[in-house]
Amino acid sequence: MTLLAPLALLGLLFVPLIVAFYLLRLRRHERTVSSTFLWQPLVRDVEANAPWQRLRRSLLLLLQLLVVVALVLVVARPSGERAAGLARDLVLVVDASASMAATDVFPDRLTAAKRAAIAALADLPADGRVSVVAAAESARVVANEATDRGGVSRAIESIEQSTAPGRLAEALTLAGELAERARGAEILVVTDDAASAAPEVVLAVPLRVLTVGAERDNQAIAALAVRTDPSGLERAVFVSIANYSDSRVVRRLRILADGTPITARDLPMEAVSRADVVIDELPEGTRVVEAQLAEVPAAENGAPPGPADLLGLDDRAWAIVPPDRIRRVLLVGPGNAYLQTAFALLPNVELYGATADEYEDTTGKDRFDLFVFDGVLPEELPEAAILAIAPPASSPLGAVTGTLPDPAIGQGPAAEPLLRNVDLSRLHIAEAQSMELPDWARLVLPGSGASPLIYGGLRDGVPTAVIAFDLRQSDLPLQVAWPILATNLAGELLGLAPGGVEPVAPGSPVELAMTPGTAALRVTRPDGSVAEMAPSASGATTVTWVETRQLGVYRVERVLEPAQPGASNQVASAVPSPSASAGASPADGAPPQGPEDEPTYFAVDLFAPEESNIAPGDGSRLVALGAMAAPDTAPAGVARDEWWPMLVLLALALLLVEWLVYERDGARRIGAAIRRRIGELTPGRRRAT
Amino acid sequence: MTEARRGAAATSVRHGSFLPSAVDPQVFDEAFLRQLERLMLVSRTAVRGGMKGVRRSVKHGQSVEFTDYRDYALGDDLRSLDWNVYARLEKLFIKLFVEEEDVTVHVLLDASGSMAGGSPDKLVFAKRAAAALAYVGLASYDRVTLTILQGRVARRLPAVRGTGRIFSVLADLSAVQAAPGATDLAAACRHYAAQLRQRGPLMLISDLFDPNVERAIAELAATRCDVALLHTLSLDELDPPFEGDLRLVDRETSERVDVTADLATLDAYRSRLAAWQAHLEAISARRQVSYVSVPTSLPLADLVFAELRRRRVVA
Repeated sequence: MTLLAPLALLGLLFVPLIVAFYLLRLRRHERTVSSTFLWQPLVRDVEANAPWQRLRRSLLLLLQLLVVVALVLVVARPSGERAAGLARDLVLVVDASASMAATDVFPDRLTAAKRAAIAALADLPADGRVSVVAAAESARVVANEATDRGGVSRAIESIEQSTAPGRLAEALTLAGELAERARGAEILVVTDDAASAAPEVVLAVPLRVLTVGAERDNQAIAALAVRTDPSGLERAVFVSIANYSDSRVVRRLRILADGTPITARDLPMEAVSRADVVIDELPEGTRVVEAQLAEVPAAENGAPPGPADLLGLDDRAWAIVPPDRIRRVLLVGPGNAYLQTAFALLPNVELYGATADEYEDTTGKDRFDLFVFDGVLPEELPEAAILAIAPPASSPLGAVTGTLPDPAIGQGPAAEPLLRNVDLSRLHIAEAQSMELPDWARLVLPGSGASPLIYGGLRDGVPTAVIAFDLRQSDLPLQVAWPILATNLAGELLGLAPGGVEPVAPGSPVELAMTPGTAALRVTRPDGSVAEMAPSASGATTVTWVETRQLGVYRVERVLEPAQPGASNQVASAVPSPSASAGASPADGAPPQGPEDEPTYFAVDLFAPEESNIAPGDGSRLVALGAMAAPDTAPAGVARDEWWPMLVLLALALLLVEWLVYERDGARRIGAAIRRRIGELTPGRRRAT
Repeated sequence: MTEARRGAAATSVRHGSFLPSAVDPQVFDEAFLRQLERLMLVSRTAVRGGMKGVRRSVKHGQSVEFTDYRDYALGDDLRSLDWNVYARLEKLFIKLFVEEEDVTVHVLLDASGSMAGGSPDKLVFAKRAAAALAYVGLASYDRVTLTILQGRVARRLPAVRGTGRIFSVLADLSAVQAAPGATDLAAACRHYAAQLRQRGPLMLISDLFDPNVERAIAELAATRCDVALLHTLSLDELDPPFEGDLRLVDRETSERVDVTADLATLDAYRSRLAAWQAHLEAISARRQVSYVSVPTSLPLADLVFAELRRRRVVA
């Protein structure tokens, strides 16, 4: 045993001081009594006036002296020494990835890892230095060459649970660089080693691993997406559930639309399998879809419940449904009631009209999503989707070689999306343009010979379709197939079947668009906290949001500049009329506005199989990354175990005993008084009765 | 005393505002007078027996109570012959009757310095107890002698007879004050014994805090009276409410004793007190003296009709 602060033994001088105080403590209160006759023999017994006799019998003094000795020893810091188990320079890597939130060890893996790391510090030499690296969504140094064990412990305790896949490779690289600064350093990694593949890192220092975790029972929502069908009318939810457990389980999948449950299904899943679920009945106007994975109570599925899901982070996922965007269609031509009716009935479509002459003067052509040229064709084609009907002359849309009276009608490809659900077997065409199929197009409906009747495709990246005959020269508008064909054409040309908003990985930055007139963006996190972000430079079109540690849905709102209050509240009225003048065009009135002033959303989801698969490893793969230990270069230090905590407890216990002894008389007096009072009351009751 | 006279006495006690000025209202206050009144009401039948020994002389004399026969001797009063026996046996027998004596009740009150103080006050209690006992004696048509023991002397007050003198007893008791200085109880008792002329019930009311208490008991026992010791102790003497380091000062001798009043010390004190009382009771019994431990919290009625009757001090 050694004393780290031997000078503290000077505190033992308090011992004679206390004894002296005890001897001098002779101040007494005088009380007059009838006679001291009965007290005299007692004085001879107790010898209250004889100091040394009194000291001999004073338990209180003995306890007080023991407390002083214990406190002096606490300050003197006695300790025992033993051979250190760790190098003098240690880099501690604590895995804080999402899988460390698993609860197979109490309370969770990260807490157990912190405890193991702090416990491992006991094997550090007395003069050891510790650097601590947290491997979360990024590698972060939380302590650098610290010698204060308390500070290191606090730094380890400060490591927070991440919701993102851990950057263990990055952390090991950083730890290797830190360790190479000192001779004989080593790295100690505390992790669950649940990643499927070992990090591709080569380290020049020895590496040890402390593993935490025991079980692998976990099910996760591996994917969640919302898709719209080509017509843009219906949306479906795709959910993929993965079972990483090695046993068969039944889990309940709940789907919520904007927080309202819409369906729940029980999914029996085999061991280490995956199940995909499609849910069609998504309510109209839904903005946020949430999927939840929960356990099925044993009483409901009739079978014993499977092992509990040990990781809760991947049991919820969110998907953002893209808002219905208004598409603008300009109908150019003399006027066609069939076309106007077909496009006017399409959802989320605003129809504008112009004659061929008015088309040239129409401004704001870049705001239209689709141009329908009915029997006319401008000299300069717009850079937007085009549907050309009976083009009068050759153009990039296709060469016109003449006319075809009463053309034969062929059979289109069976898998042609434009002809899905379209029956053209009874179509009759009086006259069609004789055209040549361009290179960029695919044939949809063949006509006589090589002349196509309908074709479409991507022309220089622009969706384009051509109908080679005037609708009024056929009975197509009178058939059921016409509105279906028009819908299919609009779906392909307007791109009405977009995917949902892609989810963001935890910890990843998000670029948020700043529309003109926006002073800042107000972001509401999933926990309800709000932050405002202003662009770093004026005129910036985007700001970067990096605080995506929380899983869930983030809401983004515009904060308008004070000079333009309500500017975005004006919405242009759209009057679809094929005979409308240029005044009805978007260029003449207020420009049609999109829903820029409505809040937008993005979701942060943990779709990370390497984190959801929580099967713990033994750390051997990580150990193999380190270099072999060189004993001659790393002299064994001396670890020191201080005993002051035990001495503090001993001092507290002695203080407690001393207090109890001191108050012993008081407690017994109170007890005696209560008994006496009860004794007095009892005969009183008897008399009263 | 006739019933009418007793009623008049009761009436005068009931109205304390008409007390003689010599009676200390602090000692004999309204509560005491109510107790005394209750004592009177209860004692109308109970005290007819009077104190132990009242009219119980060992001598045979003239009275209505027959005790025995003896042979006729010349010169005997012929009125005492039992003619019925003579008619049956033809022998002359003289009827013997109990001699009715004029009994004196001796009430000795210790007024030493140690009797002052206490909670409740011992001397006040002792005065009241003396007054109650004196009344019982007066109600029994006996002569009552009140004696104050102070220092080494016994100051005997004039004897009284009849309940009508109760107020003079109260007045005398009111004038009693605790004497400063040391008291020699044995000497005072010896002094009283020397003055004693007529035997009768003798009651000593004292805390008996005296090193020579055994000699005092012996002196009283030697008078051949029916002696009763009323050992009066206050509650704070029976169970001292002390705590911590104290310096105890003797009220009589001013002697100082340092004690640490922890629970062990107090337990030892109580044990010592109990042993002392047991010792006093033992030596009293050995000398045929009745020993009654009387805490000052004891009601007077309980003292007279429960404790003293149980110990056969009162018949």
